Amino acid sequence: MKKLLAITIFTILSINGFSQIQSNDSLKELIDKHDGKINALDERVLVNEADLGKLNKIKVSGYIQSQYENYGKDIEKSNGYNNTFYIRRARVKFTYELTDGVKFVLQPDFSTNSLSLKDAYAVVNIPKLKGFTLWAGQMNRPNYEVEYSSGQREVLERSRVVRALYPGEREIGVKLEYIGSAIPLKFQLMAMNGNFTGTQAKDVDSKKDIMGRLVYSIKLPGAGVGIDLGANGYFGGNLAKTNPYVRNSDGTADSLKNAWSYLDKNWAGGEIQIFADVLGGMAIKGEYIGGVNSTPSTITSTATMAQKKADPNKLKNLSGYYIYFIKNIGQKNQFVARYDYYDPNTKLKGDAAGSDIFYKTWTIAWQYYLNDNIRISLNYEMPENEINALNAIEKKDNVLGVRIQAKF
Amino acid sequence: MKNNKILPVMLIITLMASSSGFSQQSKITVKGSDTMVILAQKWAELYMKNNPSTAVQVTGGGSGTGITALINGTTDICNSSRPMKQTEIEKLKARYNTLGVQIPCAKDGITIFLNDANKVKELTIKQLSDIYTGKTRNWKEIGGNDTEIRLYGRENSSGTYTYFHDEVVKADYAASVQSLPGTAAVVNAVKKDVNGIGYGGAAYAVGVKHAKVKKDASSTAYLPTAESIGKGEYPITRFLYMYLRNRPANETKKYIDWILSAEGQMVVTEVGYFPYK
Repeated sequence: MKKLLAITIFTILSINGFSQIQSNDSLKELIDKHDGKINALDERVLVNEADLGKLNKIKVSGYIQSQYENYGKDIEKSNGYNNTFYIRRARVKFTYELTDGVKFVLQPDFSTNSLSLKDAYAVVNIPKLKGFTLWAGQMNRPNYEVEYSSGQREVLERSRVVRALYPGEREIGVKLEYIGSAIPLKFQLMAMNGNFTGTQAKDVDSKKDIMGRLVYSIKLPGAGVGIDLGANGYFGGNLAKTNPYVRNSDGTADSLKNAWSYLDKNWAGGEIQIFADVLGGMAIKGEYIGGVNSTPSTITSTATMAQKKADPNKLKNLSGYYIYFIKNIGQKNQFVARYDYYDPNTKLKGDAAGSDIFYKTWTIAWQYYLNDNIRISLNYEMPENEINALNAIEKKDNVLGVRIQAKF
Repeated sequence: MKNNKILPVMLIITLMASSSGFSQQSKITVKGSDTMVILAQKWAELYMKNNPSTAVQVTGGGSGTGITALINGTTDICNSSRPMKQTEIEKLKARYNTLGVQIPCAKDGITIFLNDANKVKELTIKQLSDIYTGKTRNWKEIGGNDTEIRLYGRENSSGTYTYFHDEVVKADYAASVQSLPGTAAVVNAVKKDVNGIGYGGAAYAVGVKHAKVKKDASSTAYLPTAESIGKGEYPITRFLYMYLRNRPANETKKYIDWILSAEGQMVVTEVGYFPYK
């Protein structure tokens, strides 16, 4: 009986043990199978991540500025209409960051009936020189108001002096930039063709223009105040190809040794931006620029001396400034007032100034930030011109503008 | 009858008062650093427990994401494990005309994670730089086994990525660094990979070995402990920050004051970081 019981128990244990071995084996098989699947998924995720990583290097941003403008009577007389809808800017910016410290930027502007290239440049971090970058291509000139993106700017257009001196804002050349981390200093030095207005693919003369800018930032965190103080300079020239005669800034006649000489194009400026956290943000920004600009004569080289004397190259002492007052009202609203002044020739006043009259312009604006992407701007620009024989009246050339900007 | 007329009026007033009470619940949004997300969530939980009228909503995404949200106006507070870059400050200036407000709220030692089986115990800053730039590719070169070094790191939106780049690597990261979303993922990868190395916030370092770090070959090597970080001995010590657009006011100020108080700083220690002072 005992023997029978022992055999039965042995049989049961054996069966149990066998089935346990069997279930352990199948469990291991199952784990191996799933492990394989997980590994395969892991590999696929890694491949996908690598692909996505490449896409992550490309950033696309841009904005569209759709605008309505209403003009004063004198603008209506010359344009033939006193109001219009139009697309001020429609830009897409492509940024490709190849590796850390190597970036390519391409920005076309698709305004109605015109496609233009705004930016096309490469930026490279200079090895072993922390904070230094080298830029090459077509880019903004180093000036505060020029570099301040039109997508961010609080009034619809830049000040008159900046528009006059830096038409189209961009230039083709190379730029060295330093942005300090330990020292709050920004330094920019750019060598460029000069004379670029957006159409010349190559330089029009051999001389390269140089532009430099230095900005020092002071922070007073306790008071919530930051002050950026800077200086900038432009050193270049305009080639007088055909005409040796010059009219100086004060109107006196002068001459060059020969026609193939460079006319002065040099100016210097100072800038200040004050930011204060007073019941929301507030800023006061200003810049002064003064120096000499020139306009080469376009007369043909075969013209007579008398004709050349009558249409000489022109040198002009210029002066201009702007000052902004910007106050944020809550998160969504912003009030802006700007006063700017530009005199293309400070040495001549009244009738002697001819078409080189000065302008004083008040601009009042209100911004409403609907959300991250949409901004609505109401802008009223009131220019006041110098009066002389050529410009006998204070022109009715105020402009009311309403802009909706959508950015992504 | 008069009472009957007063009753519905009182009811309406009570309802209006109570509904305005609901709408008066303050909401503070906090976005940014993944390194700080556990800490920020603990702060929020504890604060909301004691201040039920305030809702604090915390999300991660990385310091860069938080700073972008601060600039875009979609968060009240940005958590960042690195200082804001000048370019980011310029964007704040352009939109809000302020420089932003930087509030150091904790300290962290960036921890170097090694697999438990790794023979290497300590590394210099130079060695770490060489490893992450790809100059040193084999553990044998720095006292380990003769095997390839596998690099794990953070995504470029991470403040830890930027801080480690600026203060340790000081050059371009090697292309072979595997970018992972969050320090927890880095720790997990190193835990599984005998030849792996990673970096990240101290609070996440569970299940992996910490390498001691020294400034140079002749310096003493330290682990990221409260003592070494407090004394400034651990070479990769950094502040963790909160950023705001404007100087804090109302509920946000109360919340930040509490974070900087002894009670708020106790949470810092509990989570595994170190008080800011």
